[in-house]
Amino acid sequence: MTAPVRKIISQSTVDGPGNRTAIFLQGCNIRCSYCHNPETQAMEDAEASERTVPEVVEEIRKSIPFIRGITVSGGECMLRAEWLKELFTAVRHLSDETGHFLTCLIDSNGTVPFSSHRPLMDVCDGVMLDVKAWDSVIYQRLTQSANNRIVKDNLTWLLQEDKLTEVRIVCVPEMVDVEVILNNIAQIYGFIGKSAPIKLIRFRPHGVIGALSAYPVTSEEAMNHYISIAESLHLPVRKG
Amino acid sequence: MADIYSIVTSQKLSYEQKVVALAHAAEDTLSVLPMPERTKFYFAQGVICNLNEGNAPYRPRYIMPDYQKAVKDGVKFLELAPPQDFDELLTFLQVLYRHVPSITTYPVFLGDLDKLIEPFIVGLSDSEVKRKLRNFLIYLDRTITDSFCHANLGPEATRAGRLIMEVDCELAQAVPNLTLKYDPSITPDAFAEQAIYTSLCVANPAICNDPLNAKTYDRYGISSCYNILPIGGGSYTLTRIVLPRLAAMTNDKKEFLETLLPEAMLCMADYMSARIRFIVEKSGFFESHFLVKEGFVSRERFVAMFGLVGLAEAANHFAPEGKKYGSDAEADDIAEQIMDAITEFVNQYECPYCDIANHHLLLHAQVGIDTDYGITSGIRIPVGDEPESIYDHLRHSSRFHRYIPTGCSDILPFDITGKQNPAAVLDIIKGAFSLGQKYIAFYASDSDLVRITGYLVKRSEIEKWNKGETVLQNTTQLGAPTYASAHLANRKVRGV
Repeated sequence: MTAPVRKIISQSTVDGPGNRTAIFLQGCNIRCSYCHNPETQAMEDAEASERTVPEVVEEIRKSIPFIRGITVSGGECMLRAEWLKELFTAVRHLSDETGHFLTCLIDSNGTVPFSSHRPLMDVCDGVMLDVKAWDSVIYQRLTQSANNRIVKDNLTWLLQEDKLTEVRIVCVPEMVDVEVILNNIAQIYGFIGKSAPIKLIRFRPHGVIGALSAYPVTSEEAMNHYISIAESLHLPVRKG
Repeated sequence: MADIYSIVTSQKLSYEQKVVALAHAAEDTLSVLPMPERTKFYFAQGVICNLNEGNAPYRPRYIMPDYQKAVKDGVKFLELAPPQDFDELLTFLQVLYRHVPSITTYPVFLGDLDKLIEPFIVGLSDSEVKRKLRNFLIYLDRTITDSFCHANLGPEATRAGRLIMEVDCELAQAVPNLTLKYDPSITPDAFAEQAIYTSLCVANPAICNDPLNAKTYDRYGISSCYNILPIGGGSYTLTRIVLPRLAAMTNDKKEFLETLLPEAMLCMADYMSARIRFIVEKSGFFESHFLVKEGFVSRERFVAMFGLVGLAEAANHFAPEGKKYGSDAEADDIAEQIMDAITEFVNQYECPYCDIANHHLLLHAQVGIDTDYGITSGIRIPVGDEPESIYDHLRHSSRFHRYIPTGCSDILPFDITGKQNPAAVLDIIKGAFSLGQKYIAFYASDSDLVRITGYLVKRSEIEKWNKGETVLQNTTQLGAPTYASAHLANRKVRGV
């Protein structure tokens, strides 16, 4: 089995906790207007190459012992759930073989239900989940995708299963209902009695070719405003 | 005499710098060390270099007083009783530091500063401690005007250590250098991450592989340019062999390894032995100095550092055309042969008065001086030849660090985004240390403070010196030409 790998970054500090090797798969099922790597959206691209799990594992091996794990991102990597399961299983074997434990994280837009991929989730240490909007109309406008019910279901399910590593919200004033998202997450955290870190990401137009390409960088004041809301809701928040 | 006149009339040297330069000039009028013909030859060729240690040594080069003992017992010669509170401790240390000799005339080792301070800050608020620490550190920076000066932290996390780093972050000074002794089984991640964050702000502290370096002696400290030396002793001398200049004498690797290198090493070792004998037997230091008489250092705890520099260029000289140390196995294997030959020599050569080193000289990866052109520090990879991957770079270091007991290091400039994820930098350090890398220093690519070869200098001070202005720190004078000649601005910046 192969998956279209767009690129592998052996040393990434922005794709989860600590230093990680990040694997970016080609192909996405939504079209976010603020997407920072739009080149990975098309399901096929000449720049991506079909790679087997053993090939990717050999790349990961070169980063040991300098990383604490790997993160698979995209595109949307959950479109290749079977390949992911095979990769994470192989990485567990690699940990056993080298004695250097590696965690396996998924970076996802949450449009594929994780609950229907139990065997994958058994070998996955956590998910960094994008919550792009709470209101479905805002979500549709932002992503050109039908609705975000599955994202919300995933948020709850991952939290219950202790697989929610981080929630990510890209903050674009007036385009994203940040306050509503934060309020709803606080309710869910309270209801389930668990929580996960929230990363508020400042929107920057650099690299964006979608509808928000001419939009300004989110101001420091706006970011501080969102942070203070999150803190007033007792959410574990940080700026990204 | 012309030299002395130019020292006296210089407008670039500060008053203190003139006094030190004049003392050096006076010492060099003596000629008390034996200088056989071949030794003279290798000195003249620049193969053996005594790093301006002077012709008649009257104190060991590096002195590592047992400050813990001094604080406990007091110092009779200085009429200092054991300090009873934090203010008394800081005054006690300020006075004692002032009287610790070294090659630079300033103390090169300030002790395990966090451990010295920790018992004295119980009951004081953070802000009170920081206010006093700030004054203390400013005093050190402005009076120890030479950044070959080092204080140690860790491996345990302490409140004192945390506060020292917080104040250091605010002050951004070149003195003192700080090193965190890091042991992943003792040092909490949060403490190590604070150290990394601080380092990415102000290029301090460096991180030392504590479990590996602790094997060198019973108690070690880091002094000057990351020298690993016994506390309660130090090093008599640091003389170095400049490998590329020796390699330039032949194109035959066999002749180099079997004839030239052994002869030059023997000359250098004999010269070092003569220096040691003069310090111990003639200078009177061990009979008269209060640090010895009161037991803060003892002769039995001194070593002698056999320095080497330019392993990269020497290996490249004998490697096939185009093969380079740091990225090609052919060159690296030759470097290993050279290191094996040097190690074998020091392990069989017996030197006087080096009890704690089993009567052997100990290898040191000397970092270079301002007049080295085309000679890379110790065993480092030349600027511009660094492997694309930081992982390969650190694997390479590990391979060669294992040879060096008294200090070797890597210096890496990091992309400023590292500040947002110190945990990621810590992962890289943990990996490197697990492979045998011994000591790592880094700074952010946009930092005013920059590590030259081991010591810190402010880029803004370099600019002042280059314009012909007087500067406070002696090390700026060394750093300014080295920053240019060693192309340090071109060090590969590691993204994180």
